[in-house]
Amino acid sequence: MSFLKYPFWEVIKHAFSREVWETLLPAVWDTLYMVVFSALITLVLGVLLGIGLSVISKDGVRPIPVLNETASTIVNCLRSLPQMIMIIVTLPLARMLLGQSYGVNACIIALAASCIPMYARMVQGAFIEIPKGKIEAAKAMGSSSAAIVFRIMLPEALPAIIRAFTVALIGIISMTALAGSFGAGGIGDIAVRYGFNRFYHDMLIASVLVLIVMVEIVQILGDLISDLILRKRHLL
Amino acid sequence: MSAYIKIEGLRKSFKNKGERTEVLKGIDISIDKGDIFGIVGFSGAGKSTLVRCINRLEEPDSGKIRIGDTEITALNKKALNIRRRKIGMIFQQFNLFDSMTVFENIAYPLTLIKTPKRETEEKVDKLLELVGLSDKKNAYPGSLSGGQKQRVGIARALANDPDVLLSDEATSALDPVSTLAILDLLEQINDELGVTIIMITHELEAAKRICNKVAVLENGVITESGRTRDIFLDPKSKTGRIFLEVYKEFRQDNTFTGGEGI
Repeated sequence: MSFLKYPFWEVIKHAFSREVWETLLPAVWDTLYMVVFSALITLVLGVLLGIGLSVISKDGVRPIPVLNETASTIVNCLRSLPQMIMIIVTLPLARMLLGQSYGVNACIIALAASCIPMYARMVQGAFIEIPKGKIEAAKAMGSSSAAIVFRIMLPEALPAIIRAFTVALIGIISMTALAGSFGAGGIGDIAVRYGFNRFYHDMLIASVLVLIVMVEIVQILGDLISDLILRKRHLL
Repeated sequence: MSAYIKIEGLRKSFKNKGERTEVLKGIDISIDKGDIFGIVGFSGAGKSTLVRCINRLEEPDSGKIRIGDTEITALNKKALNIRRRKIGMIFQQFNLFDSMTVFENIAYPLTLIKTPKRETEEKVDKLLELVGLSDKKNAYPGSLSGGQKQRVGIARALANDPDVLLSDEATSALDPVSTLAILDLLEQINDELGVTIIMITHELEAAKRICNKVAVLENGVITESGRTRDIFLDPKSKTGRIFLEVYKEFRQDNTFTGGEGI
């Protein structure tokens, strides 16, 4: 149903009809699949890369200036690519790894490649926020570098790391919608094929609703978990 | 008796925007075992840098630091890390780990040397009793007052039975009542455990209250040092005199508590 042909409320009402959701639901599952897997990859590799970046940085636990410069430049290059370009660039990579450059799995590679550097920078930022004195206290007690990273820095920065992950996750959701138009399927694909190409505005409204609900859930959960930790530590 | 801690010709400079500023200009200090040694001076005199050089949180440019039989300045990284476990340190900002409970904070240094669980528990309980915080064992630092936080800091610093305790303005962020309580606690620790304490402070009252020896640091140079009584009775250096003047004025205003005569 299009706004061009039908009254406003009719279209809105039809957005909740069975017909629309029968088409949309499989796409929702595709989107969830892409989001969950790329989020997991981003979480693990992003935290690791973030730890690496802060450990070798100038004020880090084990400064390695040359490696720090190189890694920073690479991360910045990856970060400066618009997400759309990143998808196009990683398509050949997906073909190499998976044998095909379309579909949800191919998209996961693009999503992860784009979000890992962003999330790593946010994790690095969370570490920088830790008061320097705490790290020094740990050093003064004779802690090894590994103990400082895994027993002090990670737990101290945990609430900030979770908050950053919320932002990254929402970024991933919005990027899956974009990837939809590059053969990844999912909600974005529906929105483009039906909503844009064929003026199925009911479909478009339903797609947008799903995205809003997903983002809201992520945001509320992320805030909740990070607040719970802060409350437990009496910092809130 | 030869000194337990000996600092000789210690120099340290910082590079700031291409300009080199010398913060410590050849420091010589001797500290005996069991001393509570105060290092007093105004802000920017280099006190913090000096005390941070002792456990090499700052690397000295030149000079020697010896504690007991160990030449601190000659240790490699690994050996330094091991020696650091026997040098306690407390800070103005407490620097407790917010992610750990009071118990876990105090147990942290013990876990670094893989102390058995039972032993750790006993040790921490004993320390909590010493600093009077047994009821806060499972609290998080975020719920404690400044004075309580510093007590946890002290317990944590003592966990590995250090021979030296470095105090970097440990009472400067506390109210007068907590300050006195913490100072008394430090004195008690020195008395009961025989820990040598090196105490950096800009509060003369604090130094006067518990230090048996004092050195006055002025622009990176020790201008005078000796028994606390002598320095307070007859300061020879400019900082010493200004300090005493200000201190006397404060006393007349009744701003400071604890008023035994000098």
